[in-house]
Amino acid sequence: MSAVRIINGRVLDPANGESGTVRDVVIDGGRIVDAKGFTGATETIDARGGVVMAGAIDIHSHIAGGKSNITRLLMVEEQRANREPAGDFCGCGGGLSTMTAHATGCRYAEMGYTAVFEPAMVAANARHMHAEMKDIPFLDTGGYVVLGNDDFLLDLISSGAGQQAVNDYVAWQLAATKAMAVKIVNPGGINAFKFNQRRLDLDEANPHYEITPRTILTTLIKAVTELGLAHPIHLHGCNLGVPGNEDTTLATIAATEGLPLHMTHVQFHSYGTEGDKKFSSGAAKIAEAVNANPNISIDVGQVMFGQTVTASADLMSQHRNRGIASPKRWIGMDMEMDAACGIVPFVYKEKSFVNALQWAIGLELFLLVEDPWRIFLTTDHPNGAPFTTYPHLIRLLMDKDFRDEHFARLPKAVRKHSIVGELKREYTLEEIAIVTRAAPAKILGFKDRGHLGAGAVGDVVIYRDDPDREAMFTKADYVLKNGQVIVKDGEIVSIAYGQTHQVAPDFDSGIETKLDRWFDEAMGFKAKTFKIADDEIRDGQGAVTHATTRSA
Amino acid sequence: MAETTSHDVVCPFCGIGCDDVTLTVDGAAVTAAEGTCGRAAELFARSGAPAPSARIAGRDVSFEEAVAEAAKRLGASKTIAYAGLGTDVDGVRAVLKLAAKTGGSVDHYASEGMFRNLASSQRKGWVATTFAEVRNRCDLFVVVGPDPSKAYHRVYERVLPATGRFVEGPRRVVFLGGAPTEDAKSQLEGLNVEIIATPEGGLVDALSQLSALVAGSNPPGASSEIKALAEALKAARYGVLAWSAASLDDDGDLVIERAVSVVDTLNVTTRAACLPLSGKDNLTGAYHATLWNIGFPLRVGFRDGVSDHDQTAYATANAVKQADLVVWTSAFRPELPPASSAAVIALSHPDTVFNIEPDVFIPVGQPGLDHQGLAFRADSVVGLPLRRHRDAGLKSVADVVTLISEARA
Repeated sequence: MSAVRIINGRVLDPANGESGTVRDVVIDGGRIVDAKGFTGATETIDARGGVVMAGAIDIHSHIAGGKSNITRLLMVEEQRANREPAGDFCGCGGGLSTMTAHATGCRYAEMGYTAVFEPAMVAANARHMHAEMKDIPFLDTGGYVVLGNDDFLLDLISSGAGQQAVNDYVAWQLAATKAMAVKIVNPGGINAFKFNQRRLDLDEANPHYEITPRTILTTLIKAVTELGLAHPIHLHGCNLGVPGNEDTTLATIAATEGLPLHMTHVQFHSYGTEGDKKFSSGAAKIAEAVNANPNISIDVGQVMFGQTVTASADLMSQHRNRGIASPKRWIGMDMEMDAACGIVPFVYKEKSFVNALQWAIGLELFLLVEDPWRIFLTTDHPNGAPFTTYPHLIRLLMDKDFRDEHFARLPKAVRKHSIVGELKREYTLEEIAIVTRAAPAKILGFKDRGHLGAGAVGDVVIYRDDPDREAMFTKADYVLKNGQVIVKDGEIVSIAYGQTHQVAPDFDSGIETKLDRWFDEAMGFKAKTFKIADDEIRDGQGAVTHATTRSA
Repeated sequence: MAETTSHDVVCPFCGIGCDDVTLTVDGAAVTAAEGTCGRAAELFARSGAPAPSARIAGRDVSFEEAVAEAAKRLGASKTIAYAGLGTDVDGVRAVLKLAAKTGGSVDHYASEGMFRNLASSQRKGWVATTFAEVRNRCDLFVVVGPDPSKAYHRVYERVLPATGRFVEGPRRVVFLGGAPTEDAKSQLEGLNVEIIATPEGGLVDALSQLSALVAGSNPPGASSEIKALAEALKAARYGVLAWSAASLDDDGDLVIERAVSVVDTLNVTTRAACLPLSGKDNLTGAYHATLWNIGFPLRVGFRDGVSDHDQTAYATANAVKQADLVVWTSAFRPELPPASSAAVIALSHPDTVFNIEPDVFIPVGQPGLDHQGLAFRADSVVGLPLRRHRDAGLKSVADVVTLISEARA
């Protein structure tokens, strides 16, 4: 591949302190090199009038695995209505909230995304997720392994095996499932639901193990901190969607005692109980707590109006939500002493008080959390909306008039209960570059992504500087993947594949003996069958193991 | 070559996913050690005779000639039915890619039962579970219809050992409208096994009554045994209704719908789940790979580079009637292509004895013996890593299909 020189573009690279410098960006051998020092032959791309950014990174989007397949199964009408158009780069799939693997890569790439992470890889289903990711073009990927409801772990904690044993187990799971980080979904709650408990608060004990979500959370926070993982615990907290859960969320922030924690789709965890409808915005309180606690980062999980499908490992919550399924069908599944899943199709309606307020709560969070390095742009695809709504969301954040226009359409009762109309903040382009590039790279521990300095991967995007920010971010002028032009004028022009990222901190092999026995007795098959081998990831090509700052 | 023994080999055939098979390999000859279930031992066993040659119309030809002929026939055909699909996930991927280029329909030969399940799961949904959950939690296991162990040989040994981690006292197993085989009885020794017989064709009625009873009404005609079962399910901590959709009768759709409804109601007050079994020869993997690549659960059709889904028209039985070419893949066992008037390209198990000689025959390797690959367990969630244990010079379905695709003009 020949080198590429991008000239005349305004370079927006917040990680390196560049906010619109006009300079060349040169990619050679798939990496960005020092433009001034490079003298070799290049293909030249003229980015005059355009903005040059690193490839965007989505830290939380449900793109692969068993629950994605269940969404496709349930949403057959959507699949029929959205077919990929025939052409040289067609994968013959389709979908929108339930996009197929090839379509997922294409639609993300057209918007300028080059890395996307699946945030809920149930360990028992890890092999499936990895197989599916192999068929997603363009994107670097990885999965966060779901822990905190697995019977082996709860047994370890409740039997007093100690922090070191937990750390060893967490490290073993990361290696066995080839995971990038640890996700907790409703700590202990999914497990409690298997014992027929319907709700579980932060300080309520699991009916069998008699340990609380707080204990599970703090033990796992300690584990990833001691293992030296770059990404903190990625937490889907207790009481998702329950009015009044703002208190749980605030208590969870306090429970961290200053240790790093990433709280995901916080919009769904920012609900109060004020007003006639006993449903109100807790965004201001949550944002205040986030602002005051630098150890906390959040992604929003913005809701957009229209049909989507909600897919979660949180069967406790999804069983509670089954009555609001639209269309009227839903699937739940308990999974392998590990976790669960619940899939509920749903339509967010602009005229619904609750749905419209959810929309407003998401925006309030975006506008009230001050530090763009600690808030991430997500819709929790597909739970709040398909990821294809990101450009619209970006315009809502950058353009107050546009936002006010949409806010004005909401029911009066919602406008009375939200401060969106009073918020003057407009995100700058630089802040968009932070929340979609620089900050995601930082929180995942990537030194060579999310920026345009020498040594970074050659994932580079050129957008035309369109005052309509939605149009600007819908279709990039150019997207380069490892220096290869994959998108031109918003259209796919060539195929490339990314890599799968993982971490593998050391662990004491004593844990293996325990797990061998656990698998033989409890699981009914062998631990060695469970463990994923290197050659299973993208046929042995394309797994990247990241160093962790400390080993077990 | 010296004899080698592989332990803890993963079995890919029925979908239970046993991983305690011992294979002895001597050259191309394969023997499965004692302890392997009879069906798997039979399917793993190979005589050691060299793989047969590829053939065109019964005449031995080189592999390259067969590939060229297959490519030529694809180009000359108007309507192609891709059938069989007994292959690993890579094989399924390759067939889907080829079908997208040539047009045609794609289905798995054992998908009939799966579509009975989908009639409920896709339209209304269900609460399902997996082997390890049943193994540890299930205190009342109801087998709906015929004994699934006829197809899933070691199923009880896997999901219902005598004790379960969270089960107090002995488990109860109820056969509703079916009866355990002798072998099933021995797997279930030590458990409380009961049989509730239903009259011929009466399984739907029995489940309708059960569904009404657990919901609190009193349906006419319910036997005392059904009433007792309803009470037991309501009192159970984790009741499971299991079935093998492929072995249900023509009213299987309704049987499943009623069973799903029983579980749905139970979950309002206690915990319960369905264990729908369907998965021979990586049917489950073919279903998954088709869903994530195409967006539909098998029975897909491709025309002009766009895909579509029709559970009737693209079912193999109907598709072969319209087709002028059938591309048959069966790498796990010597299964025969469906009878039709279409020409046949068979990418088949080397021991296949055809009733009607296919127009092109290319022997392929078995995933989990001749090459590595991925298959899925019959409970849908767990992927099975299949490894290579011998070299008999047989290529994978994925490799052969890719070569045929590349040879197209």
